[in-house]
Amino acid sequence: MKLKYIGQIVCCLAIALSLSACSNLGVKPWERDTLSRPEMQLIHDPVEAGLDDHIYFSKEASSGGRGFGGGGCGCN
Amino acid sequence: MLNKYVLYAIGLTMSPYQTCLVEIPKLANPSNHSPPILSLKDQCWVGQFQAMASDCQVLLEGINQQRAEELLKLAAIETWRIEHKFSRYKAGNIMHQINHAYEKKVAVDNETTAILNFVDQCYQLSDGLFDVTAGVLRKIWHFDGSDNIPSDQEINNILPLIGWNKVHWKAPYIQLPNDMELDLGGIGKEYAVDKVCLLLQKRMSQIENCHILVNFGGDLACSGPRLNGEAWEVAVESYQDQKKAILKVKLSQGGIATSGDSRRFLLKEGIRYSHILNPKTGQSITNAPHAVSIAAPNCMQAGILSTMAMLQGSDAEDFLSAQEADFWVQR
Amino acid sequence: MQLNTSNPIETMTHNQIKKTPPKFKKIAPALAAASCSLLGITEAIAQENNGDWKFDVANLIYAESDSRVAATEPVFNATKTYVDGEILNVKLVFDSLTGASPNGATPSDTAQTFTRPSGNGEYTVDQDENPLDDTFRDSRGALSGNWTAPINRDWEYTLGAYGSKEFDYLSLGLNGGLKRYLNQKNTALNFGLALSADTIEPVGGKPLGLSRMAIPGSGTFDADFDASRADSSDNKSIIDALFGVTQVINANTIMQFNYGLSLSNGYLNDPYKILSVIDTTTGANYGGNYQNAGNNVYLYESRPDSRMKHTLYWQTKYALDNGDVIDGSYRFMIDDWGINSHTLDFRYRWDLGNSYLEPHLRYYMQSKADFYQRYLTSDEFTSGSIKEASSDERLSDMNAYTVGLKYGYKLSNDKEINVRAEYYMQTHSGDTGFGKLTSQDLYPDINAIIFQVGYSF
Repeated sequence: MKLKYIGQIVCCLAIALSLSACSNLGVKPWERDTLSRPEMQLIHDPVEAGLDDHIYFSKEASSGGRGFGGGGCGCN
Repeated sequence: MLNKYVLYAIGLTMSPYQTCLVEIPKLANPSNHSPPILSLKDQCWVGQFQAMASDCQVLLEGINQQRAEELLKLAAIETWRIEHKFSRYKAGNIMHQINHAYEKKVAVDNETTAILNFVDQCYQLSDGLFDVTAGVLRKIWHFDGSDNIPSDQEINNILPLIGWNKVHWKAPYIQLPNDMELDLGGIGKEYAVDKVCLLLQKRMSQIENCHILVNFGGDLACSGPRLNGEAWEVAVESYQDQKKAILKVKLSQGGIATSGDSRRFLLKEGIRYSHILNPKTGQSITNAPHAVSIAAPNCMQAGILSTMAMLQGSDAEDFLSAQEADFWVQR
Repeated sequence: MQLNTSNPIETMTHNQIKKTPPKFKKIAPALAAASCSLLGITEAIAQENNGDWKFDVANLIYAESDSRVAATEPVFNATKTYVDGEILNVKLVFDSLTGASPNGATPSDTAQTFTRPSGNGEYTVDQDENPLDDTFRDSRGALSGNWTAPINRDWEYTLGAYGSKEFDYLSLGLNGGLKRYLNQKNTALNFGLALSADTIEPVGGKPLGLSRMAIPGSGTFDADFDASRADSSDNKSIIDALFGVTQVINANTIMQFNYGLSLSNGYLNDPYKILSVIDTTTGANYGGNYQNAGNNVYLYESRPDSRMKHTLYWQTKYALDNGDVIDGSYRFMIDDWGINSHTLDFRYRWDLGNSYLEPHLRYYMQSKADFYQRYLTSDEFTSGSIKEASSDERLSDMNAYTVGLKYGYKLSNDKEINVRAEYYMQTHSGDTGFGKLTSQDLYPDINAIIFQVGYSF
């Protein structure tokens, strides 16, 4: 059961990595107008993201995914 | 030698494959220049227009066509505004008022105040070599390649009309003695380059790492490197004696200004009299380099230093070494 | 002799022989100042946000219904961007917790009395009421710092440190990361590592896993209490590794894929949680609290001392032509405690010019931990067959929903004020018990409101 899940994980990772090899994807430097807008940043509001992460870390069994923002606390 | 700002000679082919004219309202185009042209070359927008008797160019990247047109419009309008306001040749502008005030005090606005303060400081820093009242010398020096050098008598007659120290400047009032005049030609282009660069940079500030380059006939400034991290490459005329070569300049920050004498000189008995005139003696600098190019954090600084270096004649290199500036002298 | 002045080179040579280099004043700095003053710029190379600090202050209020947990969390965040692209970030967070938390026991048809975790005193819960411990009034302060800098055009690194302290918990952490850009910055590969060393000093000392909670008011209380305690403190260490790819899909779309691995070791229990032991003996007390010498038996929970989590995260941001932005993400988590979870998060930013409205939807689902059980049976208790058990609702089968709305208003180019209100609901499910226990609500919903105001400048 566990192995099957790990296998699925590796599969997803491989897809992700192969996407990065796809240099057809992307934009020319002069097309970055929209992407560079602040609201297009993956984490647009780090303060809100940090606060939400803390709430869900305290109330649920999962945490993280997006990267390291917070740190430990005694709430879980 | 220039280290941070490197001068190369590379071949560049200009072949714009997409051009359009940018409409400018008449009021914003007092000198009636033809509309600016926007083209796309090498993943970069090139905006071109005429001003201050030079080919003016603005390089932009990281934006779409609509934005590029908008910024080119702003650049042209601002340049033409500065050209019209500070040109010696336009009737009715502030310079005309100052130069025809018949000894009366003239009140000037904030921008002119800032400029006059600047030229005042340059006069002090250069011990009088940089002098915006020296424009009257053009009445006796005609640089047409002939051998008509003014006589000592002519020079002596005109020297009393030169000297910033004779001007009464106390912000916001300026008062010129009779027959004296101010000529901002020496800094006009560099000022426009820096102002346009700052203006466009402010508009582009939303976009990360996206910079622009302004090139008005060899006086350049940029706000930072290209999107790919490399330096901008621009074509600049070099001042080789009798030859007209194109140099390619690589710039990733700050500005470059060049002072040269390629076309304006007098030749008598084998001595070349450059158009760089010493305001204190009224004489031409005879051992001036063919060209001095300076790189500095902004175009105005570069321009003042290059002019002053030329005024040092044969001591240009020593002067520039003492300034610890990045420079390139052609003799 | 006539001095031959026709040859400029000779003239120059002539001058050079004669002269001693004249001393030149260094005018460049004064000239720089003068030109900058004229152009209205500060002397450094002018860039809009050169060396500028950007601040965010915000306050979060979280409150659950039924006098359960409430928290207030002010945040102060400062970011400085340097000329060459380096970024320094400092964040200060406080949180103040009040209210009651479930202690893990099941509600009963009789009143129940529990010992406070500190060992000083007790509290009673009415019959049919969900046992909540209201002892918690905790305050926490945390400080973190982060430094990001480019190494060269293609590489970037990050270093960070973190410290958090509350009455019974200390956490110290370090993190580092490397980012590699490819394909003209259309692709970014990310690697991060975080290490955390936590110390927990539970009020009243660390309970011995699956030991019996001392009976309040009993003659042997002190001895019993001490017997239920192990050390006064214990440690927990966490290693987190992150591998990610950020990819620009087109001019309007960007995606991120992350794989995360987390290893925790040490004391992973919640020291304040207990489990009820429910009587399996047929008779009047079938499904009621198991008693030993007339007192209910409650045991402290015990979890494994290690945990390995795998996380897969995918996020997409898509900009519409009208300026609106859609943000969607999915996270899958699986660990060696038997928990699987799925998280779906969706935001739509509705651009209104100077302001924006952003509705938010989140759905979370998890499957229970292997050692999760709502209660222990007396058979399990007497046989001693259970080595690990916890009734912490956070480890149960759960669905959670968040519905929220955020409003932001841009006061100027770089100043924004925002406010958000969200409603969070958790539902749990599981074994509904037997006998008398079936008449109890073992899985009450949790309802909470989240309210945040923020100001960026």
